[in-house]
Formats: sequence, C-alpha cells, structure tokens
Amino acid sequence: MVARRRKRAARDPEDRIPSPPGYAAIPIKFSEKQQASHYLYVRAHGVRQGAKSTWPQKRTLFVLNVPPYCTEESLSRLQSTCGLVQSVELQEKLELAESRSKFFHPKPVPGFQVAYVVFQKPSGVSAALALKGPLLVSTESHPVKSGIHKWISDYADSVPDPEALRKEVDTFMEAYDQKIAEEEAKAKEEEGVPDEEGWVKVTRRGRRPVLPRTEAASLRVLERERRKRTRKELLNFYAWQHRESKMEHLAQLRKKFEEDKQRIELLRAQRKFRPY
Amino acid sequence: MGPAPAGEQLRGATGEPEVMEPALEGTGKEGKKASSRKRTLAEPPAKGLLQPVKLSRAELYKEPTNEELNRLRETEILFHSSLLRLQVEELLKEVRLSEKKKDRIDAFLREVNQRVVRVPSVPETELTDQAWLPAGVRVPLHQVPYAVKGCFRFLPPTQVTVVGSYLLGTCIRPDINVDVALTMPREILQDKDGLNQRYFRKRALYLAHLAHHLGQDPLFGSVCFSYTNGCHLKPSLLLRPRGKDERLVTVRLHPCPPPDFFRPCRLLPTKNNVRSAWYRGQSPAGDGSPEPPTPRYNTWVLQDTVLESHLQLLSTVLSLAQGLKDGVALLKVWLRQRELDKGQGGFTGFLVSMLVVFLVSTRKIHTTMSGYQVLRSVLQFLATADLTVNGISLCLSSDPSLPALADFHQAFSVVFLDSSGRLNLCADVTASTYHQVQHEARLSMMLLDSRADDGFHLLLMTPKPMIRAFDHVLHLRPLSRLQAACHRLKLWPELQDNGGDYVSAALGPLTTLLEQGLGARLNLLAHSRLPVPEWDISQDPPKHKDSGTLTLGLLLRPEGLTSVLELGPEADQPEAAKFRQFWGSRSELRRFQDGAIREAVVWEAASMSQKRLIPHQVVTHLLALHADIPETCVHYVGGPLDALIQGLKETSSTGEEALVAAVRCYDDLSRLLWGLEGLPLTVSAVQGAHPVLRYTEVFPPTPVRPASSFYEPLRERSSLLPRLDKPCPAYVEPMTVVCHLEGSGQWPQDAEAVQRVRAAFQLRLAELLTQQHGLQCCATATHTDVLKDGFVFRIRVAYQREPQILKEVQSPEGMISLRDTAASLRLERDTRQLPLLTSALHGLQQQHPAFSGVARLAKRWVRAQLLGEGFADESLDLVAAALFLHPEPFTPPSSPQVGFLRFLFLVSTFDWKNNPLFVNLNNELTVEEQVEIRSGFLAARAQLPVMVIVTPQDRRNSVWTQDGPSAQILQQLVVLAAEALPMLEKQLMDPRGPGDIRTVFRPPLDIYDVLIRLSPRHIPRHRQAVDSPAASFCRGLLSQPGPSSLMPVLGYDPPQLYLTQLREAFGDLALFFYDQHGGEVIGVLWKPTSFQPQPFKASSTKGRMVMSRGGELVMVPNVEAILEDFAVLGEGLVQTVEARSERWTV
Repeated sequence: MVARRRKRAARDPEDRIPSPPGYAAIPIKFSEKQQASHYLYVRAHGVRQGAKSTWPQKRTLFVLNVPPYCTEESLSRLQSTCGLVQSVELQEKLELAESRSKFFHPKPVPGFQVAYVVFQKPSGVSAALALKGPLLVSTESHPVKSGIHKWISDYADSVPDPEALRKEVDTFMEAYDQKIAEEEAKAKEEEGVPDEEGWVKVTRRGRRPVLPRTEAASLRVLERERRKRTRKELLNFYAWQHRESKMEHLAQLRKKFEEDKQRIELLRAQRKFRPY
Repeated sequence: MGPAPAGEQLRGATGEPEVMEPALEGTGKEGKKASSRKRTLAEPPAKGLLQPVKLSRAELYKEPTNEELNRLRETEILFHSSLLRLQVEELLKEVRLSEKKKDRIDAFLREVNQRVVRVPSVPETELTDQAWLPAGVRVPLHQVPYAVKGCFRFLPPTQVTVVGSYLLGTCIRPDINVDVALTMPREILQDKDGLNQRYFRKRALYLAHLAHHLGQDPLFGSVCFSYTNGCHLKPSLLLRPRGKDERLVTVRLHPCPPPDFFRPCRLLPTKNNVRSAWYRGQSPAGDGSPEPPTPRYNTWVLQDTVLESHLQLLSTVLSLAQGLKDGVALLKVWLRQRELDKGQGGFTGFLVSMLVVFLVSTRKIHTTMSGYQVLRSVLQFLATADLTVNGISLCLSSDPSLPALADFHQAFSVVFLDSSGRLNLCADVTASTYHQVQHEARLSMMLLDSRADDGFHLLLMTPKPMIRAFDHVLHLRPLSRLQAACHRLKLWPELQDNGGDYVSAALGPLTTLLEQGLGARLNLLAHSRLPVPEWDISQDPPKHKDSGTLTLGLLLRPEGLTSVLELGPEADQPEAAKFRQFWGSRSELRRFQDGAIREAVVWEAASMSQKRLIPHQVVTHLLALHADIPETCVHYVGGPLDALIQGLKETSSTGEEALVAAVRCYDDLSRLLWGLEGLPLTVSAVQGAHPVLRYTEVFPPTPVRPASSFYEPLRERSSLLPRLDKPCPAYVEPMTVVCHLEGSGQWPQDAEAVQRVRAAFQLRLAELLTQQHGLQCCATATHTDVLKDGFVFRIRVAYQREPQILKEVQSPEGMISLRDTAASLRLERDTRQLPLLTSALHGLQQQHPAFSGVARLAKRWVRAQLLGEGFADESLDLVAAALFLHPEPFTPPSSPQVGFLRFLFLVSTFDWKNNPLFVNLNNELTVEEQVEIRSGFLAARAQLPVMVIVTPQDRRNSVWTQDGPSAQILQQLVVLAAEALPMLEKQLMDPRGPGDIRTVFRPPLDIYDVLIRLSPRHIPRHRQAVDSPAASFCRGLLSQPGPSSLMPVLGYDPPQLYLTQLREAFGDLALFFYDQHGGEVIGVLWKPTSFQPQPFKASSTKGRMVMSRGGELVMVPNVEAILEDFAVLGEGLVQTVEARSERWTV
C-alpha cells in the first residue's frame, strides 16, 4: 500500500482524474486530515425525450457516489460556490422517492448515495462540472458530526414526540374517514341502480350478501365439491381397481428403494459408514 | 502478498457459487450449491446433494420379477425399512475383514505357529530362582509376595490353537486381534498349582521365555506384553508382523493348562485358593475363622481351561446362520461406539457372542433372523433383564454337584454362567458397567421403537464418549489414593482375591457408596474402564498406580437437583444412627414444619448453578469421610464453563435467577395490560417475544437505576440522553412484548390506515399505563416503551388481520388473492411466530432446567467467534432446543457443560445440505408428517436457505434462517466447532484440571484483512467480554434505586450503530465481524469478487473509483479512502484501523 501511495504522490498533479464518459470527477474528502479521497461523478441531469422528471432539466446536477457522511446541507454548501443552490436531494437509488412520514417510515442509515442538486440558474451546472476540488465535507467553520457525536445527536432526535405523532395520526385518520365515508355514500347510491345497459351491480353490502370474491373462498367451494365426489366413489371394488392399487403400492416401494439407494450412495461417498 | 490460509477458506467463494460442505467433511472438497436459483437450474445436478428421484412410468410400473418380490418381502419382514437394510449391509461391508487380508493373516499365523513350537526348552529350576531368564526380558507379573513353592521348566507347547472371534468370522475392523491358545505340557505343572498364584507365576515365566525367543525373530515388527482381559495376573504376548502389515493384525498368545488338569470343584466361587498365611504373611486369626473365598482368582484360572470349549460352542451356534454373525458384528460396533467393550472389565464382544448363544438356546433368537433383528433382540433382552439380580446360565444339566446361582450372586455382581455351569463369564464386569449397558440398551430400544428416520445412524454410527454422554464427570487422581481407600473400607479379602489390584478391589464399593449418597440426584453412575496396558518385554509391568486415571460419569436427574436437603429418618428411629454414620458430621437434627424432628443434611446452594453442583459437595464429602480420599484428589468437572455465562461481578449464579426475576416482572406487566381500563378495544393476548422471556438471553438484564449526573436529561419528554464527555452509558435493551387487540369491524381495511390506528393505540396505551399505574412510558408509532421496576419493556400492539391485509392483491378481474410480501412475512414473523416460539421455549425451560444454560453458552460461543451476526437469535435457540427434544442417542442434557459439547458436536457433524433439522416442539409433528416434510425439503432444496430448521409452526420456510447464515458463514462455524470440540473435550478430560477453559471461546483473528480496534470507553458491554477486563468504565448505574424516574437510554450501543453504518456503506465490498458481547475488535474481510475491476455502471459506483487500465476505463474499490472512512465514520469509537494484508492491491 505504501508503494501505491508513493506512486500517486509522484503522479503529475495536472493529470486529469479519470472519469467515465459523460461524467466529471470531483475529489471529495471528509476533512483536511484525510489523505485519500473519494470521487464524485457528476453530470447534467437529463432524461429521455418524453419521460417526466421531478427535477428541472438543465438546472439540475446529477451526482453519483456521495459518501455516507455527506449530508444534504454540506453538499449544498459545497456546490454553492458554483451558483445559488435551490435544493439538494439525496437518495439511495436512482429512482424517484415520495416524501413520507418521519414517524411511520424512518429514514434508513445512509450508505453511498446519489444526489440531485437543483441550481437556480443553468450556469451553476456547468460551473459545477468544472470543479477541481478536493471538496471538504467538514471544515472548521462548518463541522459535520460523525461517530460518537453523530450517534448521540441521532439518539436525541429519535426520542419520540408523542404530541406531533398524535397530530399526524389525527389528520391522517380524518382524511381517511372522509374518504371512506365518501366511498360508502357512493356505493349506497349505486346499490340496486342499473347502469346504462341495465346491469345491476351486486355487492356484499346489499340486502342479500353474496360470496366475497377472494381466491380463498373459491378454493373452499372447489374443495367442498371434490369431497362430495370422493364420498360417492367406490374403492377397491372392481378387480382392475385391486390390481391397480397393488401396482401402485409396488411402485411406491420401488420409488422409496431408489431414494434409499441414492442416499446410501451419497453417504458412502462421504465415508459415513466408517463407524470410528 | 501471502494470503492467510484460513481467511482464504472463509472467503471460500464469496459470490461464486456458494459452497456448503457436507458436515464433518471439513474443508476443501467440492460439493456446490449455487447461491441463486437460476444457477442451480442451469447447472447439472450438484455433487453431494440429494436430488428428488425421477423414475419413468415404465420403470415404476413394470412387472415385478420373483427375485424383486422376494427381496421386498424380506425387507418388510426382517428389517425396519429398505433404507435400514441397505445401511446395515454397507456397515457390515465396512467392518468385515476382506478375503485378501484374511489370507495374509493366515499366512502370518502359520509362521507364528512354526516359530512357537520351535522355541528351545530349558532345564527345571525353582520358581523363585529366575536367574536363567536372559537379560533382555522381564517377568510380566508383579510377584508379590515373591516366595512361592514349585519348580518351572520350559517345554514347547503341546498344542497351538486359534481361539476367539477370528475363526468365527465375527471380528471387526479396525484392531483385528487373533487369540492363540498355547497348551502348556503337563510336565511343567505340578499338583496344587492352582494354589497361591503358582499357576500364574509359571504362566508368566512361560511367556517370558517365549517372548525372549520370539523377540529376536525378524518376522515380528513388535513383541510386547499385555494382559488377558485386563487381568493383571494373566499376561499375554502380543505379536505384530513387521513392515506394512504391522497395523493389520495383533496375534495374542495365551498359555493355558492341559485339559482336565484342574479339578473344577476346587475352583468354585466359594473356595479359597489364595491362603492368607501366604498372601499376608500371617496366619488367619486364631479363632479359626475360615479363609475368605477367592471367587475372582478362581474364575481367572477357570477361564484358561475353557478357551476351546467356548470356541466350539460359539462356532456350532453362530455357523447356523449368517444373520447371527451379522448380529454379533453389529453388536460389537454398538458396544464400541459406547466405549463399553474396552478396558478392564468391559462388556466385551465375547460376552455378547455368548449372549447371542444364550438367546438362541432360549429360542428368543431364531436362526432365520437378520442381523438387525438379532441386534434388536439382544438389546431388548439387555434392556429388560437385570443380571445383577437374576443371573442366567447356559448350562442345561441339572447336576446337583453344580453350585447354585445364588452362590454366584453372593460372589459376583453380574452373573452369566457358561455351559459348564461353573464359570461366571461376567466375573470382571462391575454392577455399574452392567447398569450402563442396560441403560444404553434401553435408550437404543426407545430409539428403535420411535421409528426415527436416522435410527441407524444414531444407534451404530454416533460415538458416545464419556465426556459427551454424562452431565458431570470426576477424575480420581492419583490412583495410589485408592490403596488407602481399600484399607479404610476394610477390603483386605478383596485385595487378596484380586492379587493386590486395589483399583478393581475399591471400584465396586466406591461406586455403591456414591450411588447411595447421590440418591435422587442421580440417574446413572458409570466409571471408566482402565485401559489395558501394553509394555515392552524388557520392562517390568506397569504399576497399578500408573494405569491412568479413574473417571466417573454422573448422569443427573434434573428433578432431584432442585433440593438442597437430604431428608433422613426421624431422630428416634433406629435408622437414624445409620444415617448419621453415613453422612458423618454433615448430618444434623432438624425440626421441620410438620413438627417432625429428623436427621437431615443441608447443602449450601443459593442459585441454580450451585444446586447443579451439589453432587460435587456430596462426592467430596463422602469420599473424604469413608474412603480417605482428600478433596485434592477429586477433580470434579461440572461447571468450568459456567464462568462464561456469569453476569458482571457474579460468581455464584449463572443468571437463571435474574432471568426468572425479569420474567416475573413481565408477568406483572401482562396482568396490568389485561386489566387496563379505558382502551377502546380489549386486549386479547399478551405474549413475550424476546430472548429474555424464553430464558435464552446470554446476559440477563438487571434493573436499571441511572445516576442522573451521568446523563443529559430531556425533561419535556422525560428521557435521559447520553453525554459526550462521559463514557457510553450502560446498554439497556427493551424486552419486546406483543399485545394483541381484539378484532372489530371498526379496524380499517387499508394497511396505511391500520398503521395509524395502531399508533393511536400505542399512544393511548402509554397514557393509560401512566395514569392508572404510574409507569414511565414513551410511545412511538410502532411501540410503547414502559419502565417497570427497572426493566424496560417494548409493547407492540398487533392486529391479527394485518398480515392478511398486507397480503391482499387484487387481480384485474377483481378477484382478491393472498400473496406473501416481504412486509407481510416480516409482520407475521414478529407478531405471530416469534411469540409462539418464545412461549414454546419458555415451556421447554420448565421441563429441562439446563436448557437456558445450554442455549446461552451456545450463543455466547457463536458470538465470541464473531459470527453472531450471521445467525438469528432464534435459530441458535432452536438448535439448542433440538439437543433437548431429540437427544438420541444421548439423554437430554442436565448440565450446560454437556449440552454445549453436544451443541458443538451437532454443529460440526450435521449435514445441513441434505437434512432439515427437526425441532419437534411439544411433539406436534407425527412421523408421517416428518416424512412428508423431508421429501418436500428435498424437492425444494435449492430454494431453501442453507440451514433449514423445521418446527411444528414453521414446516416449510425456515423463517429464522431466511436471512442468514450464508453458506460461507455456516461453513466457517462448522470448521470452528470441529476444531473446538476435541480441544474442549481434551481439556475437560484432563485430570489435572481443565486449564484455560476460555481458549475455545477466543476467535482466530489472523484470517481478517482489516482489524478495526475500538475504544473500550464507548463499548457499553465491555465487561461481558470473554476475557473480562479487570477494570472498565463506570456506566452510570447506581447500586440503589435513585430518585430519577426518567426513561433510561435505550438500545444505545455505539459499536452496533457503527456496524450498521459500515454494512450499509460498504456491505457489497466487505464483510464485518464483531462480538456484540464486549468485543474490542471488528474483523473485516474483503469480498474478492467485488475487487475484480468492473466496467462503469451508474448503479454500482458505491465507494469505487474509475481507473484507466490498459486504455480501458474500469472501476475498482477506492481502498485507501475506504480505510480512512472506517476511521471517519467511527470517530471517537475507533482507536486504530489495522490493514493486515495487501491482498486487495489491484
């Protein structure tokens, strides 16, 4: 490893950092103290023709390989040298994520992430693509917590606030109840009313409830039918039935024998018959 | 660049098709199981893996041949199943001697015969004048007292005959012994040679001369002495061929008297043939009391006279049918696996052969029986017949001159007379050896009757060494102490009979003494049989005190272990004196609650672990009192492993009491929940779902009493927070309790809404518990934490229909079907299966008090090997439960020590690839269901996890092993267990004391690529480490309840938080290993596959960098930055990051 570090030090500083086609590489470090750095791979955000995107075309910078200690605030601060940043969003994967309740869907522990940085002006993107770095996540003026500091503050944040939770539950349930009430009212309205072609929709709530349309219920019906049929069947009554059941028994024995032989073969291969 | 070998092995094939070795095979053989389903389908059937059998219709339904029908019928009648038949055939093939080897042995025997008859004779001398013996050979006998009348001369034997199992074809490999009887010419012997060991002296001199001449012969690779049947008056000469055949065969020469030389009536068990005047050098007391009988001495003489007649009897009976020979061979394997046949006074193969003859003569065995049926019949007989009370005899004559069975019972503990009616074949077998045989036979019968699928394996292929079979063992060392014991126990007649062998003389009385003392605590007491020594012909025979150590094994009875009291008779009864005499100073008069005043012995034991060790107190007390064996000579091995599950600063308890206290607190809480008023729906069930509540938490929780100065209080939410400037506070893990609410039409039918309603219930629960019972509560969306009596419980409200709601999928036609989803499975596991498992194991603990200790030791060990993360808590608990529910061929363990050894044995030998591990909780699975599950398992093997555990509640999916372990981790565990087991057993069987018992608990660290060392200041469970530190940091706990009633810091464990971050960030580049119980090191292994340079992909850039390699842009892990990340992410916790190898250099 030592040899490698020396090699890197000897490398021409002007040498361009290799980056995949279409991307620019920006070195990023946690703080001054670190020697090696990770690389952010950035490009302008673009989607295929016709596809929709949450982020505005041209003004958005797409960032790959964001280290786990890098937060949205610090990324925003680091990119602000290129232009005013409107928003930063960190995600685990490349796909869209909806905003969710912090009580019911707590944020997962971050690993390496991707980020979408939206600048106020398109010039910010081009400036960002030309960044040389290395970027420092944690500086003296803007320290980022890690290790024990981070865990303690995380713990403090995780101590629940029952009042906020109650409020959220209440608003959700109110909306839900309203929705259900509306649906029910609608269903009641439609009850027994024929549509244009004269069909009447039969529901469970009607005066004569029908079987629910579930797989389990239909399986139950089939099972009942089958049992009814087997009860009527005669077993070992005709001579051919006798013959067949005997043959079946023999076939079972043969199958068992083959299985056993295979097991023995395996055990023999493993030398399992050496008693000691 | 030198890769560490062990690391290579663990790394095995991370990412390649996963390798899961057949257990026991250890390392380095193929047998692959593809990790992904796709691969398996693509590949040809993997080797070493059972495939479901596919037979074509034509094959299955073709007309049967006569031969096939016969074989099928035979199998049905003579064997348990066709599998058993095949297995027995294979085993017999393995232990039988091949014809080729037989020829070689025969040739060797002819050579021996020629040489023996050519040994020159020597002129007659006095027995005491042994100057004629050449210098290179010593008399293989302790000649005490030396003076004896009579003359000796050497003449070549008149007859050389092969006797014993070799001719019968029932001798089994390895250790082929051929017994050869040399008939001494009549001229050597004189009248009255039966008296005072004269015959034995001559026999020994005869052998010494023979040894001298044969020892010079180049034909023999080794010539040495041993004892016939371990009897130290009867040496024998062992000859082994030179060269590559040396291990093939041992020829044993036994001199014997000419036929009809001894008058049988002189050798009856009531007769004396060793005179006290000669042996003790003093005449018997003047009062004319008769000489004591010498039954064993007489037997030893008699044995030499009947060698040939026994052979004839055996060969006439056994040659009747092959089945009988097979049966004898199987029985020998059975005895050998149980270590019953070896050593002095063992239950030898010869004895079982005779037993087969006996059963044939009483028509209990028929000649048409198969070997398996013979085995079964003999076991059945052994299990039911008690030869210590009702002896048996092969003798059919009703000659009145023959002695009665009662005479033999008087003289011997086990009676089995031969066809002459004068010789007891079991003369050397002690009562406890016979009881052990009986015990084993009973267990085996139970196993055979249970129709278990792998009965064969457990019966004949599983070794049962003493340390793994018995709950506690104790070593008596040095053996010379037994000489004093003999004197203390007044065993002079026995010594005279045994010719000075004080070990054999003392063994019987000592075991009886201990059996009586241990009483209800004991199921079975067994002793090891001293190995029969072999020594060079130029050396004196080894002394009795050098013949190894005497080891006693105790099989404890758990019900008897709970009592600390030995209740004696009432003080005014005549038996009281006897009781006092037996217990000595420990016996006290006590007044009991019912008013009775009785003699009693009370042992000091406060905790469960101490109660388990009461037998130790009993044994040392009784041995010191009655046998003059001081405590220093008794090395009791019962609890050395207890130290590993003892809590902080605890030395007297292994935590069972603390667990009971926690469970009791939980019971109180559940009562509060049941009685809670004001909940919109009533509570329908309260179930525990945490290791503490099934007694398997390695270190049980203690009540938390936080010191307020140590924390940052967060008053508005009545919680405490850890402080930066203090060491990490004590780790408090809330115990999960699942609280089911009744079903109601009011529950919404939408998963998101159910979640909200549950959250509302959590809030309400917290409110009510605080209002009605003044408990400190803290509610979140998914659970409510409750602080009660210093214990913290995490109540999770559950709604029975919720998993179903999560499963519902609506098809386009509007049909609602149920499909398992990840969320529904998780919820079902947490709220349904986990509580069921917890209560089942809780019940198991009530039946088997040692379960807790075993499960916790097992978990402790797995975690100490840094593999704890790979195994779900529940899966290890189930493996431990399997030891209790399916203990065959053992009995359920009654001490953590033996349970742990069997855990290691199970882990190291179980073939996970081809078998599911059945844990038949509450015996709910029937045999038929098990067969069905097994075949289902084979068909679905590729889709199932590497480790499959089947319980009645979980018949197909093996939920507890779904998330791990991976094949490599399991393989690593197998390897470690296979290494640890012999090491630990050796330590425990070492009579000088087990040494450092923690050795097997220390993990190998040289296999890891990077070691991250952590600062103890921030390891809250630092004191739980295997090598508990002498000093650690204060964790902010008070010893007395403090004023603070705020919620303590819950589940805050920096190493775990750190590991979560590491795994999240670098999980696809490396594996992380850590011992959660106070480990100071995190081991990191790079995954070799992720170190292959890869083309750029936007979705897999994590922690990698782009490099140009030969003009191409590829991605490789940015190792240097990652190593620095390790330190950055764990700032404050990480001391150093040691990169230990350069393997990853790309």
